[in-house]
Amino acid sequence: MPKSLFEEKLNSGKFIVTTEVGPPKGSDVSELTHHIELLKNVVDAINVTDHQSSVMRFPSIGGCLLIKEHGGEPVLQMTTRDRNRLALQAELLLAHSRGIHNVLCLTGDSIDVGDHKEAKPVFDLDSVQLIRMIRTMESGKDMGGNELKGAVEFCIGASVHPAADFIEPQLIKFDKKVEAGAQFFQTQGIFDLNTLRRFMQYARQFDVKILAGIIVLASARMAKYMNDNVPGVIVSQEVIDELSRADKNKGLAKGIEIAAGMIRAIKEENLCHGVHIMAVGRESIVPEILEAAELAEVRT
Amino acid sequence: MISSSVDIPVRHRRIVPRQGSFDHTLVPPCQDACPLHMEIREYVDLIAQGRVLEALQVIREGNPFPSICAYVCTHPCEEACRRGQVDNPIAIRALKRFAVEFGGDRMVRPEAETKYEEKVAIAGSGPAGLAAAYYLRKLGYPVTIFEAHSELGGMLRVGIPKYRLPREVVDTEVQRLTQMGVEIRANSPVISLDLLFQMGYKAVFVTVGAHQGLRLGIEGEDSPGVVDGATFLREVNLGLKPAIGERVAVVGGGNVAIDAARTALRLGASKVSILYRRSREEMPADPVEVEQAQEEGVEIQFLVAPTKVQQDTKNLTLTCIRMELGEPDRSGRRQPVPVQGSEFSVAIDTLITAIGQAPRVPEDFRLRIGRGSTIRVDPLTLTTNREAVFAGGDAVTGPATVTQALATGRQAALRIDDYLRHRYPAVSKPGRQTLTGDLQPKTIEMIRKHNRLEPPVLPPETRTKEFAAIELVYDWESAVREGRRCLRCGMGAEILFQDKCATCLTCLRVCPYHVPFVGEGGVIQIPADQCQACGVCVGECPAKAITLRKPRDRRQIDGELDHVIKAAGESKVKPLIVGFCCQYGLYGTGTLANLWRESKAGIWVVPVLCVGKLESEQILRAFGMGAEGVFIAGCGQEQCARENTAFWVQQRIAKVRKVLTQIGMEPQRLQAVNLSGGEDNPAAVLDRFTEQIGEFCLASAIKGEVRT
Amino acid sequence: MIIAEQKPLEEIRRMIAPYERVLILGCGTCMTVCGAGGEREVSLLKAALQLAQARNGEQANSFTEYTVKRQCDLEFLDLLADRVQEVDAVLSLGCGIGVQTLVERFPDLPTFPGVNTSFMGAAKEWGVWDERCAACGECRLGDTGGICPITRCTKGILNGPCAGAKHGKCEASKEMDCAWILIYQQLERLGQLERMRRYYPPRNYQVIPRPHRLVIKADIEAGGGHA
Repeated sequence: MPKSLFEEKLNSGKFIVTTEVGPPKGSDVSELTHHIELLKNVVDAINVTDHQSSVMRFPSIGGCLLIKEHGGEPVLQMTTRDRNRLALQAELLLAHSRGIHNVLCLTGDSIDVGDHKEAKPVFDLDSVQLIRMIRTMESGKDMGGNELKGAVEFCIGASVHPAADFIEPQLIKFDKKVEAGAQFFQTQGIFDLNTLRRFMQYARQFDVKILAGIIVLASARMAKYMNDNVPGVIVSQEVIDELSRADKNKGLAKGIEIAAGMIRAIKEENLCHGVHIMAVGRESIVPEILEAAELAEVRT
Repeated sequence: MISSSVDIPVRHRRIVPRQGSFDHTLVPPCQDACPLHMEIREYVDLIAQGRVLEALQVIREGNPFPSICAYVCTHPCEEACRRGQVDNPIAIRALKRFAVEFGGDRMVRPEAETKYEEKVAIAGSGPAGLAAAYYLRKLGYPVTIFEAHSELGGMLRVGIPKYRLPREVVDTEVQRLTQMGVEIRANSPVISLDLLFQMGYKAVFVTVGAHQGLRLGIEGEDSPGVVDGATFLREVNLGLKPAIGERVAVVGGGNVAIDAARTALRLGASKVSILYRRSREEMPADPVEVEQAQEEGVEIQFLVAPTKVQQDTKNLTLTCIRMELGEPDRSGRRQPVPVQGSEFSVAIDTLITAIGQAPRVPEDFRLRIGRGSTIRVDPLTLTTNREAVFAGGDAVTGPATVTQALATGRQAALRIDDYLRHRYPAVSKPGRQTLTGDLQPKTIEMIRKHNRLEPPVLPPETRTKEFAAIELVYDWESAVREGRRCLRCGMGAEILFQDKCATCLTCLRVCPYHVPFVGEGGVIQIPADQCQACGVCVGECPAKAITLRKPRDRRQIDGELDHVIKAAGESKVKPLIVGFCCQYGLYGTGTLANLWRESKAGIWVVPVLCVGKLESEQILRAFGMGAEGVFIAGCGQEQCARENTAFWVQQRIAKVRKVLTQIGMEPQRLQAVNLSGGEDNPAAVLDRFTEQIGEFCLASAIKGEVRT
Repeated sequence: MIIAEQKPLEEIRRMIAPYERVLILGCGTCMTVCGAGGEREVSLLKAALQLAQARNGEQANSFTEYTVKRQCDLEFLDLLADRVQEVDAVLSLGCGIGVQTLVERFPDLPTFPGVNTSFMGAAKEWGVWDERCAACGECRLGDTGGICPITRCTKGILNGPCAGAKHGKCEASKEMDCAWILIYQQLERLGQLERMRRYYPPRNYQVIPRPHRLVIKADIEAGGGHA
């Protein structure tokens, strides 16, 4: 019995497309709502980011509730940076009770890269411990060993970084996440298909679904900025060069072209089970990307 | 509230203040090797600072006739000098000569008053006799010197040639003795000691020297044309010009042989050879003398000994035999053994024998004589078998050095004083330890290498034409540079307060010479025989547990700073600027002396003995006393004799600048300046600094921050 | 070694401003080693405070200086009993432990901290100290090849690495090595990578409740120790 619509789709063998929306820095959710409306039918699930890059924002659980209200399929992103095990378990109870059954378990970016540098970093758990915690709750107990009045059910995802320059420790971590109970993985940004190919040679042996992360870049400068400042993003020199060759004001178009090209190739080669598109503040262009990748269809 | 269970009384924590007057320096090997135990390290350091007159004062305190030693001392100090383990020993004798010539008469005090009645007679006016006379006179005794010859000085006059020791030098010293009140009777050989006692002398010092040449023991030795070396030299030195012909052979390997050979050249001989029965390594003569002799054209034949002399009408025929080295004899040197059948003959005009001298003590003295015809004495008291008769010098030791004789003379004077005052000789207190031990390789590696600067000498061609002194004296800059090479053995840093030491290992980590180490039980040691006395660890130790062994070094900067604070307080010139300036480079070379006259007013100099010793608190104290600007003038990274000092100066400047910034003062008020190099003349550099400080003061005044 | 850094001069001046006679008290152990509060720093600070007063035309404080072996043991503080009678406040250059012990010993004496105690660490070379231990109470260095994930990983995670490292450096600072890459390399060197593959459960923050207390003396009445 699939725990969620998204899990069903994952197991169906279809090529999966997910994307993410970034909540506002404030209580005004009008733009967020607009994006949700735009995307809810063109992707299989929408992630709501959790204080991405450690910048304080409207919470992921709030965004997931909105998605639910509008009839979309949400993925709750949960980082361990800001809350201890009590708060994390509590939020999962809330999510389950509101019909949110997809969760992406992350450690979270460090406080230092964000906009509240003096805040206390919590990290009571890490991503592996979080995954296990959810499995424990599914069995009807909380982390303290106490009986739950009403258990939970989740389709659990995690992240992985195929483009890391030290790859072996990342693979060890990947193993631990699989062993802990992760079912699907959304990878960090892929800019070079060989990286993905190499990773899939290893990951194929596991019964998990891999969705390749595709980041849409709008200029060479943006690429360099992300290289220097955003954890988990390593843009290859070839992509930077290609972007710098684009005409002025045509950077975004180029970025879309690159992204779409990669998605097409992944689908054609059947490299992995789908893609996770990260439009980084430009959620509205996601449909355009899917058009260009010839993947535009209605997904409900 | 928890209280401790034992009532602990409050005590003074430090019995010995960090800047106290205790002297923990070790006696350096140079001083230990010197028969007079002169404070060589001290006077070399003073010369390095350019304080030559003070150096001369130290020299004169330890040596009654430094001008003589400056020419002819055999410098055992240089053999012991540890700089030799790095590159070459310090040219100590040449530095002493520089100081003596520079000072001239300035530090001499030829005065003495008579405190006692007992008269002392000295038989012999060689160095031992002259020194004994000097010290006895200073102690207050009436002294009479009896000299057999017409001129005074013993071997100084009749033995050592004029080109090595100018006669004026000896004359000057003797004259000073007369000024002090020493009675001198020349042409008065002492025939009987009893007579002296009858004349009323209460003590006699017999120091008649060793002038009797030893015989070779070969056939024909008494032929005319054969003369012993000491006699030959005496005749020449007394003004005679013995006829020696063209071809001269000298037998022997000591300084007398060399002196005789070189004197023969100067008398006009065209072919002078020295025949020595052993090899060059065993030759006892000073290697520098040997080299100079060869430069002048003296031929030295090694492993040759004469066997026979024959005289005929025209010349002498000298038969020699070649030698080879066999087993070592009692002196440790390999015994020469004749090679059978290797005889050869050579025709010469004069043969000079210089294989050693012995004393000739009149039997009437009734003194017990020992081996080598020398007088037997108790080594501690210098007493002989006769009451009130003391002996010393070559007459006791056989031929030895001038400096040893001076030391003996001093010792004799003190012992005679003990005797006359009915005292036992004072047991020498356990003084300071002597520094022993070699420099470790990793320290040697870090010591900056500078080769020894030799004083200039006359070129060989000029030398042999006359008897003028061949060695010239240093110029000021060379002397200072040579003095700076001194490693200052034994006056470095020590962890005085081991209880304060937190074993933080800072000293170990900052020492440029890898000297401190972790010893037994984790106790940090700074070995005295490795420390290069740069002072970096003293200024960095966070617990202030490390001090410099020499009291003057400890107090130097604070003492000078106190003085400047007082003096500047009375001055009205603004803005007040304090400069910490290294004594070695700038004073030493005279740069700083010009500075006062040229740069604009308001600068107070605190002289420091290497800026590596300047601590951050001392810089801050300068500001605390009202200085508006402070500069630190070291010798710079290249010129400083110690390693890495410029780096530490910069670290301390950064530290103090941080404090200045926090107080709201401009960090540029503190600068390191390089006054000893570069294109700018020092006065201009300081003028610019003064101007900048002036601007800062103006800015502050306008901001109203400084309330007067 | 406990590592601390002296507080900014302005902050110190503000703290002691109301007090006329101030004793600047140094510590002869950790604070000497890290250069924050030993005898030298005490005299340097005194000179700095006096200079600041002079430049500002104040007459506010007069200073005395002293350094004890340690400020965290009462017996060493007993040596100050007479000295503290003659001052109005103490500026302690001891670590936080020392300051608190001072107050326990002399509760009537206003006491101010002159340093910010920062971490427990070791010297890399002269003048450079790195944090090494967080005193977590559950030392796991045997499983991480001797590299502490709590101090050296900026997120302090136990199943590392995260995805943030670039060129072996942590996302938080380009000067910081990623601890988990170091742990991986060290375990590989020792042939113990299997330790990294294990699952490590979350930390027990209750190993000892704060403020922690260590008791090594046995409670004999309660049956500890043998008869």
